[in-house]
Amino acid sequence: MASVAFESIHKSFGSTKVLHGISLDIADGEFMVLVGPSGCGKSTLLRMLAGLEDITAGTIAIDGRVVNDLDSKDRDIAMVFQSYALYPHMTVRENMGFSLKLRRDRPERIAEGVSRAAKILNLDPFLERYPRELSGGQRQRVAMGRAIVRDPKVFLFDEPLSNLDAKLRVAMRSEIKALHQRLKTTTVYVTHDQVEAMTMADRIAVMNEGRIEQLGDPLELYDQPANLFVAQFIGSPAMNVFDGTYRSGAVEALGARWPCNAKAHEGQSVKYGIRPEHLSFASHGVPAEIEVVEPMGAETEVLVRVGGQSFTVMAHGRATFGPGERVFVSPQAEHAHVFDSAGGRRL
Amino acid sequence: MRRFTKEAVLVLLAIPILLWTLLPIYHIFLFSISSKDSAFSGALWPDKPTLRNFGTIFREEHFYLHHFWAQIWNSLWIAVAVGVITLAVATCAAFAISRLKVRGGRAVMNLALFTYFIPAAFLAIPMYKAMGIYGLLSNRWSLVLAMVTLAAPYAIWVLKQASDKLPYELDEAARIDGATPLQLFRLVYLPLMTPSLVAIGTYALLLAWNEYLYAYLLLSHEQTITLAVALGHFIAADDSPWELLMATGLVYALPPAAIYYAFRRYMVSGLTTGAVKA
Repeated sequence: MASVAFESIHKSFGSTKVLHGISLDIADGEFMVLVGPSGCGKSTLLRMLAGLEDITAGTIAIDGRVVNDLDSKDRDIAMVFQSYALYPHMTVRENMGFSLKLRRDRPERIAEGVSRAAKILNLDPFLERYPRELSGGQRQRVAMGRAIVRDPKVFLFDEPLSNLDAKLRVAMRSEIKALHQRLKTTTVYVTHDQVEAMTMADRIAVMNEGRIEQLGDPLELYDQPANLFVAQFIGSPAMNVFDGTYRSGAVEALGARWPCNAKAHEGQSVKYGIRPEHLSFASHGVPAEIEVVEPMGAETEVLVRVGGQSFTVMAHGRATFGPGERVFVSPQAEHAHVFDSAGGRRL
Repeated sequence: MRRFTKEAVLVLLAIPILLWTLLPIYHIFLFSISSKDSAFSGALWPDKPTLRNFGTIFREEHFYLHHFWAQIWNSLWIAVAVGVITLAVATCAAFAISRLKVRGGRAVMNLALFTYFIPAAFLAIPMYKAMGIYGLLSNRWSLVLAMVTLAAPYAIWVLKQASDKLPYELDEAARIDGATPLQLFRLVYLPLMTPSLVAIGTYALLLAWNEYLYAYLLLSHEQTITLAVALGHFIAADDSPWELLMATGLVYALPPAAIYYAFRRYMVSGLTTGAVKA
């Protein structure tokens, strides 16, 4: 186990700059998720930690030791790839024991390591099979097994669940989290799926265009997004956001007054954000028209229209109204988010 | 009904093509089991089929066949050497260009392919001169080196295309697992490239086995020439022993046929992997 420290990391591919000075400290045993849209640089950052990409500027340290010039194999890390990257000509047992074999461990030691990892991941029945004979989920488990066997200082996951179907993804998510709780190995996990990030992370670094937009624990990011990007990226269904003007404790927008607790100037152009579960139907408030009702059992997702803009409202229980009906929605002021229109900064 | 018509047309096309291909082979076979007198009788089957021609060949009982075993050994030695060396050269080159992404790798491959712009026959005299300078004329190595030169560019190209199709994550996974480039080559790359390697090895081997022009130029003694060149000597005389020529030809054609049959699965998959870039 070890800590990881990124210090002013820059990365350029030719004249294209992809990372602009990332600094990030990951504590010993922490589960850190790097999340962001495609092209934000999260995978590049992970690959630099793995030693698969050169570092243009800055330092990366594992357990206090700068690893910039160390080969991947000397960094004591293990990586799980999106495509699994299992060796197709080796059985599950050989795949899992490959790194130990390269390390010239004794056969008994290799067998012991493989069997321990196989037990943790329930892979015992598949040890003599080839990757092509396994399902997607089993392959992913073998890829994790290959990482566990080495007992590395840091686990790296590069979008490991992207190739799995939705149901399996949820199952594997819990499995990876349980695995981390059991092994307590420092983990850096890259994903573009914010649900994965929210459910698995100890802390999340939200990345965009080569920068970290916000770093914090999942609920902190959800409740106190530092800017508009994080606000819109984290949360599903996404936050409702619209333009307005701040006037005496509320935002005037779409022909109504939206209450908030923000510190903005009088007359300042702002963006008002409110999560779907923080809007409710009431006997008075902002007039709206129901567009679509999506019952999900425990909750109902309702699409409403207010002053030409669509909103999502997440209502508890069952809906008693249908499309076309006129209702009132009421925002909870303490959960409203207000951002500067120009920079997107939280006010 | 339409499917039936389509298949019927295909069969009707296939029959003449098959006959066209098999007829010369049948002729060779016919000659080889005929006696000298009946060889040119024009019959579709000889009156008295005989295997005596093969006995004559294997016991080296004819003037043209006095070195039969030495010559077929030369052919085999040269073909295997060309197959092995071409494979070694091309595999290393393809690995370096495609997987290690060495600087200038693409230029090397394009330069190698550029040699195909010059017909092999044009290169024969310069090659003869070069081998003369190195004192290799009439030495089996001269033909081996010449054939490797001719086979390697295509071999590199096919293997490079096949290598490109292996996912690069495998190399990265191996690197993280602690593999050195040599271990990556030996433990991951070679096993995954087996079909293409078999195909290319066979290609180079058969190219050398069938070579006539270069073998004729570079090797001159009866003891050092390949069987292909020796077969050419048969028709130098006015009264050529055609039945022996054909029988020897048939014997000469058997190893390639056997090799092709044994590796046909790899030949198709291995050579087509490089055919189109995915």
